[in-house]
Amino acid sequence: MWSRRQFPALAALAVMFVLPRVSAARAADPREFVRDVGDQLVNVINGPGGFAEKRAQLQRIVDRAVDVDGIARFCLGRFWRLATPQQQQDYVALFHQVLLNSIAGHLGEYKGVHYVLGRTTPHDDLTWVSTTISRPNNPDADVEWVISMTGGGPKIEDLVVEGVSLRLTQRSDYASYLQHNGNSVQALIDAMRRILANQKQG
Amino acid sequence: MPRPNPLLSLLVPLACLMALTGCAPRPPASDKDAVADYKQTNDPLEPTNRVMYKINNGLDAVTLKPAAEAYRYAVPEAARESIHNALLNLAYPTVFFNDVAEGKPRRAGDTFMRFIINSTLGVGGLFDVAKHWGYVNHDADFGLTLALYGVPEGPYLYVPILGPSDPRDLAGYGVDVVDWPFTWIGNGTTVYALEWSYYAMVAIDTRERVLDSLDQVQKTALDPYATIRSLYRQHRQSQLEAIRNDQRATVPAWFPAPTTQSE
Repeated sequence: MWSRRQFPALAALAVMFVLPRVSAARAADPREFVRDVGDQLVNVINGPGGFAEKRAQLQRIVDRAVDVDGIARFCLGRFWRLATPQQQQDYVALFHQVLLNSIAGHLGEYKGVHYVLGRTTPHDDLTWVSTTISRPNNPDADVEWVISMTGGGPKIEDLVVEGVSLRLTQRSDYASYLQHNGNSVQALIDAMRRILANQKQG
Repeated sequence: MPRPNPLLSLLVPLACLMALTGCAPRPPASDKDAVADYKQTNDPLEPTNRVMYKINNGLDAVTLKPAAEAYRYAVPEAARESIHNALLNLAYPTVFFNDVAEGKPRRAGDTFMRFIINSTLGVGGLFDVAKHWGYVNHDADFGLTLALYGVPEGPYLYVPILGPSDPRDLAGYGVDVVDWPFTWIGNGTTVYALEWSYYAMVAIDTRERVLDSLDQVQKTALDPYATIRSLYRQHRQSQLEAIRNDQRATVPAWFPAPTTQSE
């Protein structure tokens, strides 16, 4: 029998050797990719551990599965070209935190969540994988996962929740802020910093 | 002469007020990107809308929001769900009217069955029994019906009390007040009080359901006004798509299936 001490080490080994292979096999198919990421997310949400621990687990999943840099560029729209290289770098770094915070902020609400995979539809060079998300005491929600298969394997480009695209919403938020602040990317970066700082306090 | 609806009598002076206040300046034609943004945003009344948004937020903070919070605190979740069901059920005559106007017989059938089943077995709409029999809830209102007829949404409007809208949806709302049969039932203080309670209950129920997400938007968005504008438009668009894509055939299940059956 394995002792209690050995077990975590063995489990870690198993994860290191077995999981990457499973993921690689699944990665070719957007649907399997969504199932893979979905299962990981559900495990984190419903699993044990405190908030900080879960947030760290989430970060690993997001870094691996989400095209955060691409989404950040999309959300800045035409202002990406107007930003200096330093501003681009600052902005993308902040965007990573904004995204992670907004996902982590909802962790508690999704306790007991499970999902069902629906159909897969191609949209230009992206693939939409639909899921129905159920959680206790809430109506089911339709969530479309927008997956890009180009450039280094499958990546999540957007989530469309009940017809609302998260990246489009974010983009219009930033666009409007820029429009009312002299099209200054620096002003946007400062505002993002302020909001992140407020969240930390709150 | 029918008695004017309480909400409509509030809205008309507001519409006049909005017409009197300012417009957003159109950017110069030389700045192509800015012009494209301006067109895409389609919010020429933005300065006025923002004032309305502020007024509404101020009012909301001292009226509807605390009411919704108190409602959440005092009434258990299951009871709130039942109240929500009952309020939905009361609106089904209007939904049915719009399903028919949209030329969607299967949706009209769903609404009809939901109204009958939930009003009886669901005890006055408190319990959504019909859902388990395959008649699921869907949205329909005259704003969406007009959209299906090809009426453009027009510029964005932020209307106090009602919130985000546009001329098409605002007109649709007016029509739905008129096509709601309970608007025309009886007269006198009791009916009047019931009608007002219905509108108040719908407002509190709706507000309670968006307490968390609206809080989130106001806390994390750089420009909550613009975020809500985008959310409203995307939401309406997706409701519209849902109606358009509902191409279920009208033949009953027992009828011999035609050779080319669409999904």
